Amino acid sequence: MNLAYYPGCSGLGTSREYERSTRAACTALGVKLTDIPDWSCCGSTPAHALEHALSGALSARNLVGAAKVGCDTVATPCPSCLSNLKTARHRMADDGFRAKVGRLLDQPAEKLADLPDVQSVLETLVTRVGLDAIRAKVRQPLAGLRVAPYYGCIMTRPADVMRFDDPENPTSMDDLLTALGAEVVPFPYKVECCGASYGVTRRDIVARLSGRLLGAARDAGAHAVVVACPLCQMNLDLRQTQVEWPGGRAVDMPVFYFTQLLGRALGVPDAELGLEQLCVDPAIAFRRAAQAVAARQAEEAALAAKAAAKAAQAKQAASANEGGRA
Amino acid sequence: MPVLKGKELRVVGFLCNWCSYGGADTAGVGRFSQPTDLRIIRVPCSGRVDPMFVVKALLGGADGVLVSGCHPRDCHYSQGNFYARRRLETLKTFLPALGIDPDRFQYTWVSASEGQRWKNVVSTFVEKVHQLGHAPRIEEAAPYLPLAEKGDTLPAPLRPLAWPAAGTLTASLEQLREKIRAALPELDCVIGWQQGFDALHATPLFMRKPEDVDKLTWGPLNVHNLATYLPQFKNRKVGVVVKGCDSRSVIELLQEKLVEPDNVRVFGMACEGVVDVERVRKAMEPAEGAACTDVAPAAVAVEGDGLAFEGDTPVRLKLADVVAEKCRTCDTPVPLLGDVVEGNASAPAGPGPDAPPSLEALDAMTPEQRRGFWRAQMDRCLRCYACRNACPMCVCRDHCIAESRDPHWTTQEGNVREKLQFQVIHALHLAGRCTECGECQRACPVNIPVLALKQWMNRSVLTLFDYRAGVDVNAVPPLLAFAVEEKNIKEHGL
Amino acid sequence: MRIGVFVCHCGSNIGGTVDVPGVAQVARAYPDVVFSSDTMYACSEPGQAAIVDAIREHALDGVVVASCTPRMHEPTFRRTVERAGLNRYMFEMANIREHVSWIGKDREANSNKAAELVRMAVEKLRLNAPLYPKSFDVTKRVLVIGGGVAGIQAALDCADGGIEVVLVERESTIGGKMAKLDKTFPTVDCSSCILGPKMVDVSQHPNIRLYAHAEVEKIGGYVGNFKVDVRRKATYVDWELCTGCGLCMEKCPSKKSPDAFNEHVGVTTSINIPFPQAIPKKAIIDPTSCRQFVKGKCGVCAKVCPTGAIRYDMEDQVVTEEVGAIITATGYDLFDYTRYAEYGGGRYPDVITSLQYERLLSASGPTGGHVKRPSDGKEPKTVVFIQCVGSRDRSVDRPYCSGFCCMYTAKQAVLTKDHIPDSRSYVFYMDIRANGKMYEEFTRRAMEEYGVQYVRGRVSMIVPQGDKYLVRGVDTLLGEQVEVPADLVVLAVGAESSHGAPQLAEKLRISYDNYGFFMESHCKLRPVETNTAGVYLAGACQGPKDIPSSVGQGSAAAAKVLGLFSRGRLESDPQISQVDVRRCVGCGKCITTCPYGAIEWMELRGEMKARVIETVCQGCGICTVTCPQGAIQLQHFTDNQILAEVNALCLS
Repeated sequence: MNLAYYPGCSGLGTSREYERSTRAACTALGVKLTDIPDWSCCGSTPAHALEHALSGALSARNLVGAAKVGCDTVATPCPSCLSNLKTARHRMADDGFRAKVGRLLDQPAEKLADLPDVQSVLETLVTRVGLDAIRAKVRQPLAGLRVAPYYGCIMTRPADVMRFDDPENPTSMDDLLTALGAEVVPFPYKVECCGASYGVTRRDIVARLSGRLLGAARDAGAHAVVVACPLCQMNLDLRQTQVEWPGGRAVDMPVFYFTQLLGRALGVPDAELGLEQLCVDPAIAFRRAAQAVAARQAEEAALAAKAAAKAAQAKQAASANEGGRA
Repeated sequence: MPVLKGKELRVVGFLCNWCSYGGADTAGVGRFSQPTDLRIIRVPCSGRVDPMFVVKALLGGADGVLVSGCHPRDCHYSQGNFYARRRLETLKTFLPALGIDPDRFQYTWVSASEGQRWKNVVSTFVEKVHQLGHAPRIEEAAPYLPLAEKGDTLPAPLRPLAWPAAGTLTASLEQLREKIRAALPELDCVIGWQQGFDALHATPLFMRKPEDVDKLTWGPLNVHNLATYLPQFKNRKVGVVVKGCDSRSVIELLQEKLVEPDNVRVFGMACEGVVDVERVRKAMEPAEGAACTDVAPAAVAVEGDGLAFEGDTPVRLKLADVVAEKCRTCDTPVPLLGDVVEGNASAPAGPGPDAPPSLEALDAMTPEQRRGFWRAQMDRCLRCYACRNACPMCVCRDHCIAESRDPHWTTQEGNVREKLQFQVIHALHLAGRCTECGECQRACPVNIPVLALKQWMNRSVLTLFDYRAGVDVNAVPPLLAFAVEEKNIKEHGL
Repeated sequence: MRIGVFVCHCGSNIGGTVDVPGVAQVARAYPDVVFSSDTMYACSEPGQAAIVDAIREHALDGVVVASCTPRMHEPTFRRTVERAGLNRYMFEMANIREHVSWIGKDREANSNKAAELVRMAVEKLRLNAPLYPKSFDVTKRVLVIGGGVAGIQAALDCADGGIEVVLVERESTIGGKMAKLDKTFPTVDCSSCILGPKMVDVSQHPNIRLYAHAEVEKIGGYVGNFKVDVRRKATYVDWELCTGCGLCMEKCPSKKSPDAFNEHVGVTTSINIPFPQAIPKKAIIDPTSCRQFVKGKCGVCAKVCPTGAIRYDMEDQVVTEEVGAIITATGYDLFDYTRYAEYGGGRYPDVITSLQYERLLSASGPTGGHVKRPSDGKEPKTVVFIQCVGSRDRSVDRPYCSGFCCMYTAKQAVLTKDHIPDSRSYVFYMDIRANGKMYEEFTRRAMEEYGVQYVRGRVSMIVPQGDKYLVRGVDTLLGEQVEVPADLVVLAVGAESSHGAPQLAEKLRISYDNYGFFMESHCKLRPVETNTAGVYLAGACQGPKDIPSSVGQGSAAAAKVLGLFSRGRLESDPQISQVDVRRCVGCGKCITTCPYGAIEWMELRGEMKARVIETVCQGCGICTVTCPQGAIQLQHFTDNQILAEVNALCLS
């Protein structure tokens, strides 16, 4: 597997911590990431909303670049970049479209086979590295941490393009977090929209939708929400004080990138994971986790004490009988 | 009947009654105009269409042939079109061997409600036929007989052909004889080879008593495929000695239940190639200008990779130069079943040529040359049916379809067309069954490379069905079976 | 031969673009043609009379009619020549209308083509031979596979018609899905009340032999003479002795056995009688949960059974029945709704299927007819019904409409109101298909009288929220998204073919479509027949349908069988293959390739030859192509006959 890495524009901007933690976690796992030389923006929503060939060209430029440095797969952490790159590749199967895109590129792709596969970093970790390998490298299990995994709306859809996990009820992040020692709570809003870029133009929509997500996490007893998308993270974390909490009960709900928790579990120092960039204090989640662990330990101790006392009592009664008989 | 001059070409259609004929009717009801060239023959099912009907039409002067049936899975008789698909696709890949443009033959699927589709099918196909023009008749092709005949520029054989030293060979042969003697009491007879009427020939040997076994020989003169005799021994227990190629014929016979496994015992050893007697004769012919006499040496001895002939003029020939064509590309030197004496078969030196020599030669010709080639070869053909009689898979004997009046597929006229039709019948009947033992070619008294047609057919079968005859006793020849989804048969866009 | 050619004008249909008299004239010169004429309408009464007269007058022994497609009038003209004393197979048609006059206007080309087609017909006719149908005996017994309402109706009608019926049912009781219903639309009749008496009739009818808990294993033979192996699966209770008293059920300690009859809402005992009106009303042990089988010790039922009917060592038994016809009425199964992950994918206990809900509504169900949520047993106050779950949805490969779900949803909504007067029901629908008698009126009542809230739109997601379920959908008529907090969600799951249907179809040699529904002969005109002689269809196995349609088809299939048997002996179509034993070398290739198993081995003077079973051969001709010697020939389409047409065209 020759993995090219496509960070995406927000990775160097508003989701710096996602970038940093992804690289750090990959290093800790021994996954080599090859940067695509002179990579450029995939075009995101503006491009594909304007003209498919333009969007295809902007994405294909990066795919060709990856192929040129010998990579057979491009992994990207951002679902929007993922969607653009993958859709472009999917469309390039059609000779006509490939030719049309080729006319916009200095270095067009001759055949579909020249273009590398595209995956999310999550898919790469779960399918190529494997949960067993990751589990083996866990140094600091996320004991006691109850998490609500939130995939966002585009990571698994459209299903016939993304071809990853169940589009309505994905479980790969659940499995990954479980392998890291965390406890995943039932979260019915895994693939529901957070409001996306309406955070800028229609904040009321984000307030309602993101509020609903956070409320559900709260009601499920999660200590934190775990995301894989910079825009989701921004809506849930940055705008947490602006959302409408169902029932009116706002709590502090830290929102982690899954790579941050992955890095932490692998023993990567917090400084390299960009935890300080999170708006809602992540320490809240870890405190809750610690409390949960302590509570469970106390409960177990109490049960053990009870059992011991009962056993002692029984022993006493037995020996009393013995004595009596003797 | 001659076609309407200048307007039409002869296009024959075979349509299944339930779907395609209905589709053509629907096109008529809808008044969809079509070119007038097509003449429709109604059959109950596309599975009724014998590929030979297509060949007869094309060789008989048709410029195009169209077959149409129900869509696969919708056959009125549930499986007819699955068989049709296999047979007709095989035929389509075979037609170029005769120099016939495969675009002149199309098969497709049209349902009874698809009137518009039928109109498009007919219009497209007839237009294509008009583009190709009048089909050239094989009787009128310019004869083409390339002079590069046997022996001149042959590729190196697949394996370094070299028989083991005389001592080793004798020891192995004695082992073989022991096995046969031990089995004789339970068997009617065991068929093998013995030294023949002259030093250059072996002949079949029917061993019934232990003394007979002493006469068994093993060497490059054992050219005959003795499996041919097996079907005649029905209900009797018989043994047969085989080379590797012969063993495939035995497997094929078992597969088709033409021999009972309980009634046949197979014996064999590794074989390093058998001679092509014609090549030996040619190599031993006296110098040009001298009298051409029938050459038969006094004795023949195998020496490693050569043959030494004792006679008026002792000659040593390299085995690789005189060995039969089929041995060049042989990859089964050791019999695949039976009581096999461990021999010293050499391993292949490397990957074989893409095609055996005759087939390569045929491949290299243009369609026009191929027509000329077969015209010339069929001119020489005596219609003696030796090729058929030598074939182990031809069990029809006196009931051969080429000699019958009912059904009356070919006349007994000695013209090129009728003779070629027989060759095509033979090749089609052997599709998926021929093990390329080469007996047909060896038996031909005028050395027509008839094996090339079967080799072409086998190549089609291998490409289409991943199938090789005579390898697995439990396999079913692909044309006697079908698959609902065919991996290698793609829609033809008609 | 003395052949007569009749070229038809068909008014101006043919005469308009074909020189009909010219073609007739050309045909007069064809070999063996002694009479040729043109006629205005060959199929009309005078037209046919002219043919009959010509045959008699000119002593014709073969006739060619050049007119429309044989698919239309071949049977007509065959009868015509038969009236004149000829064998019906001494007749050929040339299609010069659909294939010539209607598809082009070039008169010269059309007339030439017509003449050539007539020539081809003449050349074939010269090789035609008279063919005579044969008659054979028929076993006047019928096998009905499947004891649902369609199978029950078919069995009763056949039995009342005087023929013996063998009814094979896979479950341990007949009744099928209808027995699981509480009430039926549109009358809200109690299902067991109307089905029960029919089930009892089946068990008591002297002409019906019922094999329950049995499956058809092998089918051999042909129409009129089928031989069927039925595997009677072990019930571990001797049904000859069992009285259905139910004492074993009361005492059985293993109470967590899967309850398939109640659609796995709740559990049952390992030994059980599925429901009180079961026919046969006999107990059956589930060996996967029974303690005696799993752990080796219990035996309580054996101890308490008053007739000593328990048989732990019982084995399957195979019986062979001979029948003359088979009716398959194997019904349907429900779509697996767990494929919709957005509806919980099976993880939410209070999201259930319509049939599970039916069991909750039923007084003989696991809750005694009290509607209770499976999760906590509480009565739901808000019930949401979602229609088209697994129907009309290409994304789950079910594009078809199941036909009865709109109706049963309305019924269930009505019943919900009856059971829980202060409840509120919502139905999310795409369209309402209420096309039967009184159906539309019934759905209207649900909406207007029973206050069921119909919302036109699909449901995108069901989200658990506390102890309720938030059902999020859309109301397209209002143009708004809606959310309903439901206590219970009932999914109107679609119908699919019964499991094991394709395998059974292969045993029966009938076709089935992509979805496993059996193929009828003609979707409009022959809905209960198949292309295999002697095999008929009834009910949902042919396609989803409601009870009246299933019952109707059951009777229709019975009528076909009674008609088949009415003649005592059957006639076989002579257009079949025949073996020339002189040419057959016994290679057996034809036997391998026949799709119908219509060719068998025969010993003739010590040699094995092939023989065609005349009643099974359908006349496809695959064997004729397969045979290397041409020993087996499809009559009326022999190699020589087809070659005659090819040679007429090609050899100039």
